[in-house]
Amino acid sequence: MSAGITAGARRGLRIAHLFPELLNLYGDSGNMLVLKRRLAWRGLGCEVVEVSLGESLGFSDVDIVFMGGGTDREQRIVCERLLSWRDEIASYVADGGVLVAVCGGYQLLGHYYQLGGEKVRGLGLVDLYTDRAEPRLIGNVAVRSRVSPQPIVGYENHGGRTHLGPGVEPLGTVAYGFGNDGSSGQEGCLSNNVLGTYVHGPLLPKNPGVADYLLSRALERKYGQGSLEPLDDGEELAANKVMYDRMMAGAVPVR
Amino acid sequence: MGLRSSLAITAGRLTRWGLSKVLRRNASQLPGRVALALDPTLMGRLAERATWGSVVVCGTNGKTTTNNLIADALEAGGRSVLCNRVGANMAPGVVSALLTARSADVAVIEADELSTVRILPSLRPRYLVLLNLFRDQLDRAGEIDHVQDVIVRALSLSPQTALVINGDDPLCAAVARRAAEAGTRVLAFGIDEDLHLSADRVPEARFCPACGAELEYAFRSYAQLGSYRCPRCDFRRPALDVAARAVTVGREGVAFDLVMPSRPTRRLHAGFGGTYMVYNLLAVCAAVTLVGGGVDDVQRALERYRPQNGRLQHFDVGGREVILNLAKNPTGLNQNLSLLAADDREKAVFVVVNDNPNDGTDVSWVWDVDFERLLDQRVSRVHVGGTRANDVQVRLKYAGIKAEVARGVTEVVGRLGDLPVSVPLYVLTNYSALAGAKAELTRLGGDR
Repeated sequence: MSAGITAGARRGLRIAHLFPELLNLYGDSGNMLVLKRRLAWRGLGCEVVEVSLGESLGFSDVDIVFMGGGTDREQRIVCERLLSWRDEIASYVADGGVLVAVCGGYQLLGHYYQLGGEKVRGLGLVDLYTDRAEPRLIGNVAVRSRVSPQPIVGYENHGGRTHLGPGVEPLGTVAYGFGNDGSSGQEGCLSNNVLGTYVHGPLLPKNPGVADYLLSRALERKYGQGSLEPLDDGEELAANKVMYDRMMAGAVPVR
Repeated sequence: MGLRSSLAITAGRLTRWGLSKVLRRNASQLPGRVALALDPTLMGRLAERATWGSVVVCGTNGKTTTNNLIADALEAGGRSVLCNRVGANMAPGVVSALLTARSADVAVIEADELSTVRILPSLRPRYLVLLNLFRDQLDRAGEIDHVQDVIVRALSLSPQTALVINGDDPLCAAVARRAAEAGTRVLAFGIDEDLHLSADRVPEARFCPACGAELEYAFRSYAQLGSYRCPRCDFRRPALDVAARAVTVGREGVAFDLVMPSRPTRRLHAGFGGTYMVYNLLAVCAAVTLVGGGVDDVQRALERYRPQNGRLQHFDVGGREVILNLAKNPTGLNQNLSLLAADDREKAVFVVVNDNPNDGTDVSWVWDVDFERLLDQRVSRVHVGGTRANDVQVRLKYAGIKAEVARGVTEVVGRLGDLPVSVPLYVLTNYSALAGAKAELTRLGGDR
């Protein structure tokens, strides 16, 4: 992987944003912007490749793959496409490739998810599955996770109930909101370098710890060294704290 | 009319009298709520108060302005109008408006998109105007697919209603296509030329609603609005019954040639608004002429139009011009940023985003706004406010813009003391922050 990097070349990451024209329900382009800026502020390069449905993607030179959430209709279209890439994605993940999947994208990681009355086959990258129940789980959410020094804060909106297999580590535990299924107290999944979550808002701007975790894992895989210079995250952490405090005080609007 | 309805009407009128005359409070909702509680079928009976019938206006952005301008123009032409002017656009607001007079020529009614399914079957309007469909309040309204389904269903429950759509919006055209299959008559308005504007990032409706192929555009005005066609099937922008050509948009407002079959082309101008206002005015012209009014009445209404509802309302605060406008979703905010771009003066901006239930409690949409556009403009100071001030501050940070958090307009105005009063302040707020900002500005200065 690092064969193409010559000494002195600027370090950087290549990020593949999958199907942004379809999976873009919750400001997901913000996640790309955050990754890009946080690399640039450290003098590191970043190329975001928007992969649309008709295109092909070589995973061999990709460092982070991102999938957002879409409507049910869009998610089904995407799923068909992804299944045709299943083997490539699986070997990318087995090789330690960083994959972030939010909302609908998260559900696609599992063995299957339910759409209406139908079971739709997923990528089977992580031992999890998603069924559906009423009501939709909608609202602010806070998660305590080992990947972030601060609680992860954001918003969730899903009809799916995601169930992790016995050996699968959740992204964290729910401090406020519903999480994977509204009852287990777990949110998201962490498996190898795959991070799945229902937290949007988007995920990364108010959770710089998560952003840096992803960058650090990808840099480590690519260069063998993933430590990052600290940044001034005053505004990000203020936004994080405001929402966390509001949740803990019961001061966020409930639908 | 039955006893029950009479009782409900009396109770509603009493409530309105008590609120407006005794308590001097806003009577746009409660009278209707009281009356509907006593007689849930009342709206259908009250519909008869409009002798010609009614026009209903819905769509994500521009409802209130469009609705009020239709009412103004019809009044300018000598008609009496029942209208829910302050934007109380669900069933109680509609009933409150219908209770304000025993009879009128026309009812001009703004309806929330999801409320059309309740309002249309009762009111049975002659026309439903659908302005646009943009992503808005995902936590409440759900996806646009759902909003479309509801409007199609509402139309199926009111078969005598004809649909007037923004033909430039493929999402509206998709509603029209389905409604037409069920027998609804459809008319379309749109901008019939390339305005050569830079494309927005809002990625709605890229694909054909009929077959899923990516739509091709000859030109776009903004967001997904433009002249589109599907390369694979017959879905395309419909022929325009009401069209704008020779459009100009600038700080002094908008002007265009109104082109309608079997009518002489006439130039219209308004001293306010951006490209989005051209669409609103096309909808106004379509509705007014369908009711039987004239385009001259529209022009007269535009000349007298002084918005008092926080939509592009101008204030004078110690000699400084303050422009207040509603911006509650990415497309609305992007259109506001275009208004700023049309103003070549140095300026200050205050963006206020609340997350109350009537705003939508999910504010991830601020990341779909092209705030980066502020970088090219002469914006000397940016403040952010509302319950989600910090979210907007972070969004702006990643756009490369330093913003300060402020509690309200008064604080922002105070902090601008070192800027010459020739620098205007644009205050852009989402829904629940609007009334507070307007009240503060009224207290600080006055209308300009």
